[in-house]
Amino acid sequence: MANDRKKMFAKHMEIKFTKEHGSNKMEGGEITDMVGKYYRLGVEQNPRKVEMKKAGQEIAKKRGLAGYNPMMHCGGIPLGQRALTPSFISGTDMMVEIDDLHYVNNAAMQQMWDDIRRTVVVGMDMAHETLEKRLGIEVTPETINHYLETLNHALPGGAVVQEHMVETHPALVDDCYVKVFTGDDELADEIDKQFLIDINKQFPADQAETIKAAIGKTSWQAAHIPTIVSRVTDGAQTSRWMAMQVGMSFISAYSMCAGEAAVADLSYAAKHAGVLSMGEMLPARRARGPNEPGGISFGHFADIIQTSRVTPEDPAKVALEVVGGGCMLYDQIWLGSYMSGGVGFTQYATAAYTNNILDDNLYYDVDYINDKYDGAAKTGKDNKVKATLEVVKDIATESTIYGLENYEKYPTTLEDHFGGSQRATSLSAAAGCATAIATGNGNAGLSAWYLSMYLHKEAHGRLGFFGYDLQDQCGATNVLSYQSDEGLALELRGPNYPNYAMNVGHQGGYSGITSAAHAGRGDAFAVNPLIKVCFADELLPFDFTAPRKEFGRGALREFEPAGERSLIIPAK
Amino acid sequence: MVYKPQFYPGATSVAENRRKHMSGKVEKLRDISDDDLTLMLGHRAPGSDYPSTHPPLAEMGEPDCSIRQTVEATPGAKAGDRVRYVQFVDSMYNAPATPYFRSYAAAINFRGVDPGTLSGRQVVEARERDMEQLAKFQLETEMTCPALASLRGATVHGHSLRLPEDGLMFDMLDRTRKEGNIVIMHKDQVGRPIDKKVNLGKPMSEAEAAKRTTIYRVDNVAFRNDKEVIEWVHRVFDQRTIYGFKPE
Repeated sequence: MANDRKKMFAKHMEIKFTKEHGSNKMEGGEITDMVGKYYRLGVEQNPRKVEMKKAGQEIAKKRGLAGYNPMMHCGGIPLGQRALTPSFISGTDMMVEIDDLHYVNNAAMQQMWDDIRRTVVVGMDMAHETLEKRLGIEVTPETINHYLETLNHALPGGAVVQEHMVETHPALVDDCYVKVFTGDDELADEIDKQFLIDINKQFPADQAETIKAAIGKTSWQAAHIPTIVSRVTDGAQTSRWMAMQVGMSFISAYSMCAGEAAVADLSYAAKHAGVLSMGEMLPARRARGPNEPGGISFGHFADIIQTSRVTPEDPAKVALEVVGGGCMLYDQIWLGSYMSGGVGFTQYATAAYTNNILDDNLYYDVDYINDKYDGAAKTGKDNKVKATLEVVKDIATESTIYGLENYEKYPTTLEDHFGGSQRATSLSAAAGCATAIATGNGNAGLSAWYLSMYLHKEAHGRLGFFGYDLQDQCGATNVLSYQSDEGLALELRGPNYPNYAMNVGHQGGYSGITSAAHAGRGDAFAVNPLIKVCFADELLPFDFTAPRKEFGRGALREFEPAGERSLIIPAK
Repeated sequence: MVYKPQFYPGATSVAENRRKHMSGKVEKLRDISDDDLTLMLGHRAPGSDYPSTHPPLAEMGEPDCSIRQTVEATPGAKAGDRVRYVQFVDSMYNAPATPYFRSYAAAINFRGVDPGTLSGRQVVEARERDMEQLAKFQLETEMTCPALASLRGATVHGHSLRLPEDGLMFDMLDRTRKEGNIVIMHKDQVGRPIDKKVNLGKPMSEAEAAKRTTIYRVDNVAFRNDKEVIEWVHRVFDQRTIYGFKPE
């Protein structure tokens, strides 16, 4: 297998490092040059930094209090002693400023997390049984449609039943709604199309059949409370807000008595018995309620991202989109803000979804696997190679050494991934995703992740920061541990898994490996069909089929978020 | 038969250099005076006393115990020195040392040290005079090339960046410079100007750096060609994985 193939990162490296951006003087040279020029131009070389500097000065003057001042860096020597270069969003031609990939500067990133946090899936069947068996009320497609119309008024904050009640302004909560889905085609046909997530339309035929079989004749509501509510409160609020409005809507739609005991059953079903949160509650030491990122399992996240139903023939792309989304959510928002703070985590995370370096490594692996293992990296169930330690060692070693040699042959890629943690994430994600695609086994992929870490450490005599010594040197031992909690299937692990809770640059990769195993098999979902269908919905502000592109739109200030307050604040 | 540590597998020059770093049997290439070292480290003024955090152990009336009988305190601990650090950055373009091998060298050959290993830098914390002993050793020997490695307490990026035309690893804070055919350091570890230019000696030539380095590179000694190292990595991986599955 020749590894001198056309590099997917070549064009991006050429633009970054041999073409001028702003006034950074990056003009000329080759991406293979080992010698570079350092002009020490400071922040003035970069358009976004200039904009930020000016804004900082204006704010300081206006408020009479010092603020952002890039000259405060280390003895008055500002950032930009080397060239400040833009980045490309992997899988696209979108060139962005790296500042704009911090979630504070990126409305699409904020909205991705908003859309997950404000979502719960709620069963309808318990409520229908309560109505029919206990109260003798007939439930028909017509009553369901009427209920859904009522709930789409009430869920955003519209009043029903009461006669003198404050309400939320519809223009502030226009992103809030509920739709339903079912595995029962006959029932689906009876549902008003505006309320239906049509599984047959959203998924390829084979995936739709699998999903419908898994869901069966049950019916579910995909509920998204207002972004603005979720931002003011937290993820744990989502089921509560939803349950209150569901209860009120049942009362109104089915002409129930507001105080009758059956209402409590409906409420219990919506709040507890029939509700599926995106994330589990976390223990006291990381205290967060349900629907916060630390509780979102890698399997759930793999199902939230929707690329698998759009490009099922390209499992590498599916995995890469999950890696990108996962690095943003788990690294930038969860570890980077909830668990830590500041700006550093963004620099780690973006390495996995910019400039095609990871993409190049993974697609090389796909070719290697298809050549050596008779097409095992193609989507399918019968073509997978058996998950053995020998296969893990073979694929992970080839993948990792290929990636390492790229950093050695192309100094610009090494300079782009200038931290070992960035390189470790990219190399291990490639090895892990490739092995998972080839075997259809997430834990085999995880095993490859850890071997990649060992090989990287030995080759370069360095790895990531301190945490990599902990997490990545003991990780292999718990891939297949006889202790059930340690040896858990990767799909069911999450950010709160032992040893996973402290280290940037990992969780996006783990979720990518999870999705790779299932994308490689052509599965319709990784762990939960309800979550997969819930996000198969174009009405959501964030397009979950293409998270990396959405991050690019956010960075280019083209993304239109929800939950804005301009209606109720002074116009500027 | 007396046990002889093997330290590291591999049949290449990189593997051999790794064994040398770990064993501490490295060649001395230059002299750094105590005062110059103190200036560069930036923890105290040259010639001043070591600040202490407790009285000398001999004056503290410590209880007798088997650990104290077995382990003799280091000079810095005996004197009550505070804990200070030395931090190195090594270029990936064939600097002699790499972070892990600086850590191994410190932990194997020095007592009372606390090495921290990252990708771009490697820090050792220890009682101040103990730390200085280690820092001097690493600076004066073939473990360090003054062009491809430097002391950096903060703002450390440079290890992975292309080399500038003068061959000195990029340093945002410009702590070292080439003057004639020698490298001088004119700022301390955290970038504060110091009173004199410390002579760090001549940089290694490209050929010498390639010969002395402990990093595998495809344009020098390729990792994929050191079969024994890869075999050994695979063995560690096998053992750790299988032990977790069925510890026996």
